[in-house]
Amino acid sequence: MSSKYRLYGCLAIALALALTGWTSWRAVNTPLTPYALRFPASFGGRFTIPADNPTTEEGVYLGRLLFYDPLLSHTGTISCATCHRQERAFTDGRPKSIGVNGQPTSRNAMSLTNLLWVRQLFWDGRAGSLEEQAIMPIHHAGEMGMKPGEAARRIQHVPLYTQQFKQVFGTDSLTDTLIGKAIAQFERTLISASSRYDRYLAGKAALTEAESRGMALFMQAPDPARGIRGGNCAHCHGGPKLYQELFHNNGLDRHITDTGREAVTGMSLDRGRFRVPTLRNIALTGPYMHDGRFTTLDQVIDHYSDHVQAGPNLSRELTARQAGGLRLTAADKADLKAFLLTFTDSTFIRNPAFTRPATLSVR
Amino acid sequence: MKPFLLCTLCLLCLATRLNAQTLTISGEVARPVTLSAEDIKALPHQEVTGKDRDGKELHFSGVPVIELLKKAGVTTGGELRGENLAKYAVVKAIDGYEVVFALPEFDPAFASQVIILANRVDGAPLPAGTGPFRIVVPNEKRPARWVREVRSIDIRFAK
Ligand code: HEC
Ligand code: HEC
Repeated sequence: MSSKYRLYGCLAIALALALTGWTSWRAVNTPLTPYALRFPASFGGRFTIPADNPTTEEGVYLGRLLFYDPLLSHTGTISCATCHRQERAFTDGRPKSIGVNGQPTSRNAMSLTNLLWVRQLFWDGRAGSLEEQAIMPIHHAGEMGMKPGEAARRIQHVPLYTQQFKQVFGTDSLTDTLIGKAIAQFERTLISASSRYDRYLAGKAALTEAESRGMALFMQAPDPARGIRGGNCAHCHGGPKLYQELFHNNGLDRHITDTGREAVTGMSLDRGRFRVPTLRNIALTGPYMHDGRFTTLDQVIDHYSDHVQAGPNLSRELTARQAGGLRLTAADKADLKAFLLTFTDSTFIRNPAFTRPATLSVR
Repeated sequence: MKPFLLCTLCLLCLATRLNAQTLTISGEVARPVTLSAEDIKALPHQEVTGKDRDGKELHFSGVPVIELLKKAGVTTGGELRGENLAKYAVVKAIDGYEVVFALPEFDPAFASQVIILANRVDGAPLPAGTGPFRIVVPNEKRPARWVREVRSIDIRFAK
């Protein structure tokens, strides 16, 4: 080799070294881009983002990769998205979810929508933050079935992830905690605020007559003494986000089999109470209730109208004025359903920012 | 020895949790307290009259909230000045419903009505779904802060 070529060779090596050095330096030192969470002012600012896990573009993207990656399950076949499918507003269409062992889990998969505002996660409110929640399904024997630390070890040497974790969290050692943090960042971005009902609230769309009558029933408490029928749904499912963070028993059973909130608080007054779920995208998230017992919205409305069971802790909102149910007419039921259908947000279920990232296929 | 201790501890915790129709007062207090229905029954009671949502006048009996706050060493009376006026109470129900009161609302040095934690209505214990404890703000036009099934009072600073 002539000295000239040797010189070029040296230069090339130096350049390569400089480049790798620069890339890894960049990975650690480039400031991350803050993620702009956008939502209507009416959704309010009652949420906390942990100071040690700010939402960034890069972190959200990493979380999205992880959300769709079956590597995080024992069998390598189940990802979060298996049970939380975007086209169903992040539910799975089953009464009870099926995880790594092919058996149904104990409850119905919840919709992942507007979680930024939820402070007590799960049907029984047992998780206090998205960071804490996100690693629970990974470690759950019936969901993704991983031992503590196993998920981090599994992806530790996947180049895509080593690079991304370095960039987002500035470290080479992956942990389950960091996996949880990244997924939590992605979950905070799952904001749904473009249903027809949202546009109606913003003065940009009108409701049909049936929908308007349905809305009146939804908002109004019944008053049989004055001949007023109502659903009083808004007491629990009201507000622009279509839920209040409350725990109630809505009269599904006289004899409780799933103790719900009681298992978390130990209080008998909590037996059979569950967190009020959001009604956003309700047309897409069936089957309904914590055990997925109802397949259609008609069954749900029939329940509230005619089959409310006086079990322990049945909410007084459903009994105080009228025992046994709301006694709605067939026309009322149709109107109420028409109104529930205005909660569907088709931009949310098609938002390209929430889909499975193409990079996963070339991992 | 160790497992035995652990077991006893667990049992103790369980026992206190199961026996749980209690009221907790915590936060910016000198001493957090947990009061049982019996503890509360033993305190001096006061009667108030107020209109519930249906407009019906009801006679409640219960303990002035200020007396409960004093038990926890909340700043009241002469101490309720300066930065202590930036404190508020979050009253929380079993179902998670929360409402806010400013401390002076409870304090007879400021307020002309007495807000009570009621445990009886028209001579009987509060019914299921309302009791064991309910806040009653006698003169308030809408009873939305008459929290049913009260579980805790948390004192905080506006920050
Ligand atoms: C096997 C199906 C399954 C898998 C896999 C799964 N989930 Fe779930 N998810 C559920 C079920 C069932 C519930 C309700 C469980 C309960 O409340 O006890 C739930 C509840 C949740 C909630 C609570 C929502 C709320 O409003 O409180 C969040 C958030 C969530 N899952 C996120 C995830 C994430 C992130 C992953 C992946 C790490 C994941 N899930 C994997 C089935 C699954
Ligand atoms: C007292 C509070 C309360 C009222 C009032 C109420 N609900 Fe519910 N709703 C709940 C609770 C709690 C659940 C979950 C119960 C469970 O799964 O055990 C629920 C579940 C639902 C679900 C299923 C959601 C899902 O994702 O599975 C629908 C649909 C629903 N309610 C509609 C209505 C309608 C329509 C009305 C008015 C007629 C109404 N609710 C009134 C508390 C209430």
